[in-house]
Amino acid sequence: MYIDPHIHLVSRTTDDYEAMQKAGIVAVIEPAFWLGQPRTEVGSFKDYFSTLVGWERFRSSQFGIVHYCTMGLNSKEANNEALAEQVMELLPLYVGKEGVVAIGEIGYDDQTEAEDRFFRLQLELAKEVELPVLIHTPHRDKHKGTIRSMDVSEEHGLDPKMVIVDHNNEETVKEVLDRGYYAGFTIYPHTKMGSERMVEIVRQYGPERIIVNSAADWGISDPLAVPKTADLMRKSGIPEEHIKLVTYQNALTAFGQSGQMDEKDWLNASPLDQTKKLGGNSVLRGGQTPRVEGSSDFVEN
Amino acid sequence: MQNQLASFLSQLLESPANQKGLDWLQKQIEKINNEGTPSKFFLAFSQASRYFKKEKLEHSVDQIHQAGELVPAFQPQFWDQLQVARTLLMLSYPQVKDPWFTTMNQLFETADMHEHQSLFAALPLMPFQEDLIPRAIDGLRTNISLVFDAIALNNPFPAKYFPEANWNQMVLKAIFMQRPLYRIQGLEERRNPALAAIARDFAHERWAAGREVMPEIWRLVAPFVNEEYFEDLKKALSTKDNLQENAALLTIRESAYSPAKKVLDAYSTQVAKLDMDAIAWESIGTEFQRTRV
Repeated sequence: MYIDPHIHLVSRTTDDYEAMQKAGIVAVIEPAFWLGQPRTEVGSFKDYFSTLVGWERFRSSQFGIVHYCTMGLNSKEANNEALAEQVMELLPLYVGKEGVVAIGEIGYDDQTEAEDRFFRLQLELAKEVELPVLIHTPHRDKHKGTIRSMDVSEEHGLDPKMVIVDHNNEETVKEVLDRGYYAGFTIYPHTKMGSERMVEIVRQYGPERIIVNSAADWGISDPLAVPKTADLMRKSGIPEEHIKLVTYQNALTAFGQSGQMDEKDWLNASPLDQTKKLGGNSVLRGGQTPRVEGSSDFVEN
Repeated sequence: MQNQLASFLSQLLESPANQKGLDWLQKQIEKINNEGTPSKFFLAFSQASRYFKKEKLEHSVDQIHQAGELVPAFQPQFWDQLQVARTLLMLSYPQVKDPWFTTMNQLFETADMHEHQSLFAALPLMPFQEDLIPRAIDGLRTNISLVFDAIALNNPFPAKYFPEANWNQMVLKAIFMQRPLYRIQGLEERRNPALAAIARDFAHERWAAGREVMPEIWRLVAPFVNEEYFEDLKKALSTKDNLQENAALLTIRESAYSPAKKVLDAYSTQVAKLDMDAIAWESIGTEFQRTRV
C-alpha cells in the first residue's frame, strides 16, 4: 500500500488512475495549485476548489483510490494581488470541507512581497482552523526560499510538526529535518528529484519525517513515482519498514493531524467494484463496462 | 412549519451514542439562528461531517408516517445522519427571502459531494420552493450519481414542480445512468406520451447496439400502448429474459390496447404469479439493480 501525498489529478487520465491503483496506491492528496494558465477571475478559483472536493474526489473513488486535497492560494498567483484578495475571501468556504487535509500548497515562487503577504495570511488561516500546512518551496533560489519559509512559519507560531516542507533536495533536507519539519521529496524528472537520489537520501537520513511524492501534473511527470521509488529502495536494500514510512505512514501521520484522513477510509472501503459504484454513467459513459485486465485490439461495446 | 420540521428532525437524530455531536449541533443552530451570518453557517454546514456519520437513520414506522404528514411524500428513511444534521442547520438559517437566496446560492455553488446530497435531498423542506426549481434542474446536470440520486430518487420535489420537458429529461437520464426507476416519486402519475416515445427510442438504440434494455423502461409505456409499442413489447418478450418478460407482461396487463391481451393468455401461468403493479415493478427494479447494474 502506498500513498501519493502530492499529485495534481485534474491533469491526469483514467489510464493513470488504473495504473496507480494496480501499483498499490490507496490514497492521494491533491494540493490546490496553479493550472499552467493563470486565472483572471475569482470564479475560476471557486470552480477549481469545488472540483477538488467534488468531481475529482468522486472520479478517484471510481478507481478505488481515496482522494484528499489541500486548499490554498499558490504563490505564483499570489502576485495578482487584486485577485488574490478575492481568493482569500473564498478560502474559508472550503477549508472546513470533508477531505481537506491541509492549507497548501503555499509559500514562495519568486519570493516577492505579495507572495510573502499571502503566505503569512494563509499561515494564520491554518492556525485558526487547526490544519497542517503544505509548503511549496521555490524552484529558483531554493535554499534561501526554503529557509525563509520555515523562518516565517515559526514567526507565526506554527509547530514544525504541523508543517510539511515540500520539494526538498540534498541541499535543503538537513536543515528542514533538524528544525523538526516533515520533509517532502518530489520524484519529478529534470526539475526535482530522481529516484536514485531519493534512495541515497533515505539511506543517509533514515526514514523519520521523510515523505516521497510524485507531484505529477500536466508536465512530463510520473504518477507511479512513489511505487517505483519504493521498488528501487527494495532493490537497493533499504529495510521494508523504512520504505513503508516514507511512502505511506509518514504522509498519513502528517496529514492525519487534520482529523480528515484515516486509514479506515481505504481499509474498510468496499472492495473495488466500478460497475457497482458507477451507476452506469459517470466516468464510464453510456453503460460502458470498466476495463478489466490486459490490452486488446478492440474497443468494448 | 420550519419549527415543526426542525423538532421532528431533531427527534430522528437523537441518539445517546452521539451526545457530543448533538451538543455541537445545538450550539451551531442557536448561533446561526441568532446571528444569521453566512460564514458561521457555511463552516458549521461543512464541519457537520466531523460529528455525524453517513449511516442510515434508525426510525420507527410512526416516524415515517409523521414525516409524510409534515411534508407529503417526504421519506427520511433514505437519509443518513449527516443529511439530517445538515438539514437542521439549513432550517436554522433565517428565512428572509433575498439574503436567504444569496447565502444558499453561495452554498450550492461551493458545496462538496455530500453537501450537495444534503441540500438537494432537502429541497422539499426548503422555503421559497418555486424559486428553487431552476436550482434543482441545474443540479441534475451532475454525473455524480450520489448527487443525481438526491434529486431524482425518493424526493417529491421533481414530480411536484418540474415542467414536463425537465421531468422527462430527468427520467431519461435516470434510465441512462441505470438508476432504479421505481424510486422516482410520481413516476406513474407523471407518465406522458412524449416520455413513452423517448423510452421507446432509447430501447431501439440499445437493441441496435446489441445492449440490454432496462426492463423498468416499459412501465413508462403502459398507458400509451398501440400497435408500435406492442411490437416492442413482443420483442421484449422474445428475449427469454425473465425480467424483460415480466416487465412486458405487466405493461400489457395495465394497458388498454386490446389486441395485446391475447398475449396474457399465452403467458397465463407467469401472469398469475405477477404481483400488484407497483410491487411488481419494484421487484423487477430491485432485481435488475442487484444482478445487472
